[in-house]
Amino acid sequence: MNTNISRGRLNAKKIAPPGLSLLALILLSLLPIFVTDYTIIKINSIISFVIIAVSWSIFSGPTGYISLSTAAFYGLGMYASAILGNHLPLPLVMVISGIASFIIALIIGVITLRLRGVYFTIFTFGLVELLRNLILWLEIKFSGTRGRFVPSVDFQQVFYCILGTLAIILLISYLIKRSRFGLALIGIGESEDAAAHIGINTTLVKVLGFSISSFAVGAVGAAMATRTNYIDPGIAFNMLMSFMPVLMAIFGGMSTIPGPIIGAAVFAYLEELLITKVPEYFMIIFGAIMIIAILFLPNGLTGIAGKLFKRRKGAGKNANT
Amino acid sequence: MSNKILQIVLEGLIMGGIYALISMGLTMQYGVARILNVSHGEFIMVGAFITWMLTTMAGISPLLALIICMPVTFLIGYILHRTLYKKLKDLTPSAGAYEGNAMLISFGLMFIIQSVAQKIWGSSPQGYKYLTFSFKIGKTAIAVNRLFVLFVTIIISVIFYFFLNRTRMGKAIRASSQDPAAAGMMGIKINRVMAICFGIGAILAGIAGSLLSMINNINTSMGMNYTVIALIVVVLGGLGSIPGSLVGGLILGFVGSIVNRIDTSLYMVVFYVLIMVLLLVRPKGLLGR
Amino acid sequence: MLKRTLAVLIALLMIAAVFAGCNKAGKTETTDPPSVDENVGTEDTGKDTQPAAEKESIVFGGVRSQSGVFATFDETAFGPCYRMWADKVNAEGGIYVEEYGKKLPVELIIYDDKSDMATMTRLYEKLILEDKVDFLLPPVSTAFLYATAPIADKHGYLLIGAEGGSTTLLDSIAQYPGFFSVLNFSVTQVPALVDILVENEIESAYIVYIEDLHGTEYSGASKPALEEVGIEVHGMKAIPPDIQDMTSIINDAIDSGADAFLLFAYPDQNFLAMNQAMAMGYNPDVFLVGPGGNFEFIKGVFGGAEAVEGLMSWGGWNEKSSEKAAQFAKEFLEYNKDDPKVSIDWWGHLPYYTGLEMLQQAIEKAGTLDNARVIEVLKSEKFDTVMGEVWFENQLLASECYLGNVGQWQNGIFEVIDVGENRTADPIVPKPAWPAE
Repeated sequence: MNTNISRGRLNAKKIAPPGLSLLALILLSLLPIFVTDYTIIKINSIISFVIIAVSWSIFSGPTGYISLSTAAFYGLGMYASAILGNHLPLPLVMVISGIASFIIALIIGVITLRLRGVYFTIFTFGLVELLRNLILWLEIKFSGTRGRFVPSVDFQQVFYCILGTLAIILLISYLIKRSRFGLALIGIGESEDAAAHIGINTTLVKVLGFSISSFAVGAVGAAMATRTNYIDPGIAFNMLMSFMPVLMAIFGGMSTIPGPIIGAAVFAYLEELLITKVPEYFMIIFGAIMIIAILFLPNGLTGIAGKLFKRRKGAGKNANT
Repeated sequence: MSNKILQIVLEGLIMGGIYALISMGLTMQYGVARILNVSHGEFIMVGAFITWMLTTMAGISPLLALIICMPVTFLIGYILHRTLYKKLKDLTPSAGAYEGNAMLISFGLMFIIQSVAQKIWGSSPQGYKYLTFSFKIGKTAIAVNRLFVLFVTIIISVIFYFFLNRTRMGKAIRASSQDPAAAGMMGIKINRVMAICFGIGAILAGIAGSLLSMINNINTSMGMNYTVIALIVVVLGGLGSIPGSLVGGLILGFVGSIVNRIDTSLYMVVFYVLIMVLLLVRPKGLLGR
Repeated sequence: MLKRTLAVLIALLMIAAVFAGCNKAGKTETTDPPSVDENVGTEDTGKDTQPAAEKESIVFGGVRSQSGVFATFDETAFGPCYRMWADKVNAEGGIYVEEYGKKLPVELIIYDDKSDMATMTRLYEKLILEDKVDFLLPPVSTAFLYATAPIADKHGYLLIGAEGGSTTLLDSIAQYPGFFSVLNFSVTQVPALVDILVENEIESAYIVYIEDLHGTEYSGASKPALEEVGIEVHGMKAIPPDIQDMTSIINDAIDSGADAFLLFAYPDQNFLAMNQAMAMGYNPDVFLVGPGGNFEFIKGVFGGAEAVEGLMSWGGWNEKSSEKAAQFAKEFLEYNKDDPKVSIDWWGHLPYYTGLEMLQQAIEKAGTLDNARVIEVLKSEKFDTVMGEVWFENQLLASECYLGNVGQWQNGIFEVIDVGENRTADPIVPKPAWPAE
């Protein structure tokens, strides 16, 4: 994990963003020494959302292909954990689950090539529902039950696994952003036909982008399943999990790497805060904050920072649209 | 055998009709007003609970309650659009960003509406008895309340069709859905048309809710299921296509009624397989342009 | 300009909120988590679990679905019971704990999990690790209970389940020595049902079940049990939770000519089936529905007591079961008279409340808040509760403690119709016709 990051540093032309991330990761990894167990658990949960939101925005951010398949890969990861958890250590389960998600995403990517815009969105959404209902049907028909226990894993181990995944996904996200591959993704978002015209293999870029954005979700699903102890198809393939990264990324601002991170962190934290302090009115306040935030911060939380920065520099252009 | 077929057809028409109403409502909101209204199902729930309240507490006939529901839900939708979404539109420069943000707002609305409804009406299932008797065609018992719902659905659909095709407002709506910019240049007040579309979407949801409460029990968390169905049908039918939504809804209803007889628990599996195959064969939906 | 300022302000506020929250969440937490529902807590939460230290209250923490699809559980099932119990105990000054030499009032910390499993398990860890509650209250539904049992066990907490129970428990309960279950389920209920069917010379049955833990278990247990006594099973259909139309199933049941229609599902499906059976004039000799049929509010759903006359469901107890049960029903109705959303549950409310009373008495008998010692008391002692004298056997409430397993609505009363001494009224078979429109 550390070698990966330092390699990222070497490749970087600007030291600041990766350097800061590295510092943050080191601080996070030292956290268990300083804070209480529950704080770790809470941060662990927030980081899992950060990973999912960052993963999602690797593909959907630049291309504009809104994918609602997150819950599918997350759920597959959970089932991987329930089935393999007794036989293999968690990091290995996560790797297997990640690779499986990657391969399944490749296949889905190839199938859905023709679909654009909201048709792609609904297809990915249907995928989640299909898996949920199919697995439910299979479980009832063949295993005669519905849910499965997930072998429990020490939460600190889960935390470090999640942290490792975060490091990997941040690195990938950063490298993609700076690479020709990232430019190709943006090109597809701006005009797919034009991108194809200038010699970008849009098919390959799209399928690969979709797969890359899926593997970490599978890995996180496998890790987080150990935190729920028991799963059934309804719990594993929860469609809220598909909407969450979308909401978080838009909330934070989609066009930058920090956007989804901040969006996910604030979103997840706000939810936890409201749900424990004012459970009676949690949903109302949460909904109201969402509406107000969108109305007054249409470019997401990071959009406002960008705006301020731009204004100080005197540049009048709005870069976030 | 003919009994079975009659049952399948009726069952498919009844649920398909309701799905079609819901989906046509969402088409108005998404196809024309460009709002992927995730809180669509909550309007269904509100319609159902208003009907239930009027019926059980005020003793009004559910049919009358349905008619009362219409202006109420329209006003809620219209005002929401004139305030929230209009403001958002002024603040959001690009169309793409507007769609994303509008969806987020509707998510916020969903949380708020559902939570307020739960505070008022609770979380337990509610219901009332309406026309719970049947008559027989041959050996087949046919429930009157379901048949009545089908009847109302057809009437509403016909009215809706005439509204869209024969009135000035309907023409303005169709023009706006095809090309909002051109429609604006032709002198159509595009913001007002969109607000009306959003309101009509809410009416159709409210009517569907009213009808559902006549044949099924209702609860305050029922909305999401119908939102999902509507989203899928709208896309399946082809974005912005009202006939597409009608056809999509009916297909869904018939798939349900046929699969129900083979293995009820396979219903959703078959349904999603069908959707995905159809999308792959016709990437722009059944009647999409 | 104004808009920009506003936007900046909101962003700043949010960031401030995050930081403020972070500080609170840190390990030097001193602020008291608010007691959410009740005004029961008098003082600070007293998170200090060191024995003999000064203590002002006993903190009970639970994660309950107060929003989302399971919200109905906390609204009408275990929810009203723990609220009433906490208020009642506090009205009497609290629970006497010997190691502190005084009565300590009960304080509740209830969080909402939005019917989401991951949130639920995380918040239980918060209750245990951060709020350091003294005892746990159970979450809603069987699946959630399964997920909570390992957490409670790991941290040495006892957990007395409320809503939910399943035969799967029989295999796994021994792994979690601090886990107890109070609600009767298929193990006692299916044999009771079979006895009633045999007594009333029912010869055939048609089974419909929901595809989940509850449905698969009850249908799985019923089929062999019915066939063993010679009752033919004419059909066995699984239905998904989101079923919208049961015409085909009702028609199939009519065609099968079965004497008994047994529906192992939840309120949504049960009420749909009843509505359609009424509409289609399907009136078999026995019509049994699952959870939901045992709630008082079912009468309202179908416009009065006569609509459910003769309907059977799981249960059961009523005011005639015992004096204590009658007293409990009276107190329950009195306590909840201002909340129209709460109606009495003639299956669960008595066992749920019994579980709370057992916990209270076990704490008093153990004289400590040490969960391990309270567990020992729960395992070995008998308790005098609203259900009469009760005790745990293999961590489940002993089957002879229950006041009934199957109920039937008769003249607006949910009568216990078990064969034997618990019976409060003879079963009405065949079921009277549904009332005309």
